[in-house]
Amino acid sequence: MIEKDVIVNSDAGIHARPAMMIVREAMKYPCEVMLIKDSIEADAKSIMSVLGLAIISGTKLTIRANGEGESELVDFLVELIEKDFRA
Amino acid sequence: MRKLTVRHFIDGEGRIDLQLRLIAGEGGLDKEIKYGEINRPGLALAGFFDHFAYDRIQIFGQGETAFMNQLSYDQKIKTYNDFFSFDLLCCIFTHEYVPDKMFLELAEKKNVPIFLSKRATTRFITLFVHVIDEIFAEQITLHATLVDVFGVGVLLTGKSGVGKSETALELIERGHRLVADDMVIVKKIDESLLMGTGSEILKHHIEIRGIGIVNVREIFGIRSVRNRKRIEMVILLEEWEPEKEYDRLGLDENKYNIMEIEVPYITVPVRPGRNIPVIIETAALNQRLKKIGINSARELDEKIKKWILTEGQK
Repeated sequence: MIEKDVIVNSDAGIHARPAMMIVREAMKYPCEVMLIKDSIEADAKSIMSVLGLAIISGTKLTIRANGEGESELVDFLVELIEKDFRA
Repeated sequence: MRKLTVRHFIDGEGRIDLQLRLIAGEGGLDKEIKYGEINRPGLALAGFFDHFAYDRIQIFGQGETAFMNQLSYDQKIKTYNDFFSFDLLCCIFTHEYVPDKMFLELAEKKNVPIFLSKRATTRFITLFVHVIDEIFAEQITLHATLVDVFGVGVLLTGKSGVGKSETALELIERGHRLVADDMVIVKKIDESLLMGTGSEILKHHIEIRGIGIVNVREIFGIRSVRNRKRIEMVILLEEWEPEKEYDRLGLDENKYNIMEIEVPYITVPVRPGRNIPVIIETAALNQRLKKIGINSARELDEKIKKWILTEGQK
């Protein structure tokens, strides 16, 4: 299991499109991956789950993955969020 | 633990049940409610402030308001100023009694929210305690889908991509009702009751691969959704594994543990061509039978055992 913290800085927070970018990447890996905000866990492979977290700019997120490809995926997601979803 | 503020009474979960109207002290709406308890401030108004539970929710009934009414102007000045010298959380007046101007001005100045309720005091307190208990209840968020199937709250779980949302959609199509898709907030109301709701923003939206996000309420109408439902069984959907042994009898009851409450639990293997919604409907109906004491598997077993002992011997 691997866990990393990241702060969301993009002004619009995580709305539909950024959520989709997270989910699309997460689906490529077999491991289980969660986004955690204020101890609420959301499955990063589910759009509704990610949107349900209502992540606004400035939110501290924890990304936790468990299984095959975990560290690669967590690093990728951290980078994606740090770069404000600009690929 | 979530931080709860007075604002919850008019903006949050309590809003629909409580029907409170704010008339003064809006500036104090973000005060934190530390204890979900109430106080009748009669003694404090009479000038006795020992053990005054000022940090609880103050409820003014007919007794309190009658007492306030018979005070002379000078008495009011003293009583109200003493009363508001405490860091009060908020006040609720029942019977829709509007307190006098002096009281409201002090409340406004001290940022103490004042609410009105139409109800009678005892009725209101009963309701209020119930609502507060629910707001303060322990809660978790589960990655699952909650559907009301023939009146049974069925929580569908399983890995992403196994088809929870598609199954829910088909159940809705068959006349059942969606509570929440993909993210269910579960509250432990008491030692045997788990209540499931959806998140405020996602409410009744569902994501179907290939279509995207759709609003179930808009497409299927108000009868296809409900806001909350007691969770009465858990169904795990999983990919069919040829090597795995699935329950063929239903004699043993499995339990799924959610916040120390045991919920009946079954595993349904998913395979192309298997009609999952019908299986879920049957499971829900079977659960209802079990609840009233009819266990099909056990009864058939008893019948066979009896036959073996009697007819079989001939």
